[in-house]
Amino acid sequence: MAIKDTIKPTRSELIGLKKKIKLSESGHKLLKMKRDGLIIELFDILNKAKNVRSEVEKDYEIAQQNLNIAKAIEGVVAVKSTAFALKDAPVITLESKNVMGVVVPRIESTSVKKNIIERGYGIIGTSSRIDEAADAYENLVEKIIIAAEIETTMKKLLDDIEKTKRRVNALEFKVIPELSEAMDFIMLRLEEMEREEIFRLKKIKS
Amino acid sequence: MCGLFKTPAYAYITARVRARKRKLIPKETYPKLLNMQLPEIIRFIEESEYKKDVDELSAKFKSIDLLEHALGRSLGASYRKLMDISRGEVNYLITEYMRRWDVWNIKTVLRGKYYGASEEEILNCVVSAGELHYPELELMAKKESIGDVIASLEHTPYYPVLTKYEGGMLNKIEDELDSLSYTRLLDAVGGSPGEKFFLKFIQTEIDIKNLKMLFRLKKAGVEREYVQNILITGGLELKESDLTRLSGLSFSELVHSLDGYSYWRSISDVVSDQMTTLMDVDTKLDAHLMNYASQISHYYPLSILPVLDYVLSKKIEVDNLRVIARGKELKLADEIIRSHLVM
Repeated sequence: MAIKDTIKPTRSELIGLKKKIKLSESGHKLLKMKRDGLIIELFDILNKAKNVRSEVEKDYEIAQQNLNIAKAIEGVVAVKSTAFALKDAPVITLESKNVMGVVVPRIESTSVKKNIIERGYGIIGTSSRIDEAADAYENLVEKIIIAAEIETTMKKLLDDIEKTKRRVNALEFKVIPELSEAMDFIMLRLEEMEREEIFRLKKIKS
Repeated sequence: MCGLFKTPAYAYITARVRARKRKLIPKETYPKLLNMQLPEIIRFIEESEYKKDVDELSAKFKSIDLLEHALGRSLGASYRKLMDISRGEVNYLITEYMRRWDVWNIKTVLRGKYYGASEEEILNCVVSAGELHYPELELMAKKESIGDVIASLEHTPYYPVLTKYEGGMLNKIEDELDSLSYTRLLDAVGGSPGEKFFLKFIQTEIDIKNLKMLFRLKKAGVEREYVQNILITGGLELKESDLTRLSGLSFSELVHSLDGYSYWRSISDVVSDQMTTLMDVDTKLDAHLMNYASQISHYYPLSILPVLDYVLSKKIEVDNLRVIARGKELKLADEIIRSHLVM
């Protein structure tokens, strides 16, 4: 439907449109600033995400290697038996923080990294292979928790950048041009109506 | 006079263990196994002395798990056979030596109960090689709680230690049980020439256990008091005063204060204060103990030493086969597998 068909060419409509255009332009400016800010934040996080991802991969390889050695040398039976000695799962607390209006998670963990005497198994009956497998897996879990926080933040920022970009584009290429077009139409129509009025008055006088 | 009475008992048991030792896989076979593919290794084990155990467990386990359980079962059966065919003092010594398996099984059942593992999961992790028979272990695994398991062991030597359990993690009780098995063994060994060497072997084993623990605990930065309490007394070179001194040192100081002991020669090439892994130290110390055992095994043919030699040789065989099979399955590098083989 054309603008002409939906808009009443009145002065009050023109004033309303002018206000809307002003609001849209300031909104557009703010959203553009938000988008740029989020992109800067994203690039910061991106570097961290790249590093943490490669660290997770490295730690996983070490953990797997140590576990495989423990399984081969001590036996799967011994590794399983030792694993029964600890039943406490790590405690993970989930909080949130605000990055330019985007709510991102803050994950904190406790009791992941344990000292050799806190792992529940006796020292005399176990070996360094078990210690090193447990140690490597604790490191891996800690790194995974950090990676989870960073990667979720990155995902949320990306989603929000996309959303903000769509809004900026909508304002820039759809809303503001349409409002301007409507405003131009009303101004043109009002001018025309004014000219018609003058012409009518002149005709009555003559 | 006393020695004359003992000789026939040792003659019988040593003849039996010599015959059994001949059935063990020769050392030259391990490098060949290392060059085989996994299916070939599985087939080799399935066609060896382990056939009966593999066949009997084949309905319950598959692939490498089947092999590992078959190896464990064969080890348990061999040790149990030794206890069955020995009499008197020999039997007493073997039983005391095998108590480590009882301790292993008790620890496994307690851990299983602590974790809430199923009866089947617990029984899959026990090795019935000690005084406690499989039906007794089954009964223990069926118990509802740790308290019930402890109560069921009332008439065993482990009960006084187990009653100290006050709930929570089991590490202190585990260490006390392990310590108890060594203390009892030290007390059990008599004064005959063969037994003197056996005693030296046990003392060396205690030294090696203590050294491994010192490395692990000092690397983890555990405080002196804890370290001192956990170390086992009765070692050959590491006397109580040495243990007290070493437990007060930092990791770096510990590394630099071991060169006065005979074990240093075995570990000097892998030990440094910058070392990141202790696995190599464990492997070298294990090899040191095995070398010592093989050295003394022929000193007194009619003594406990040939029996000890068989016990260790059988354990080495089972460990080597497991290391090769598991290592191949888990795609460990051949060098890593080879470095952990005792040949």
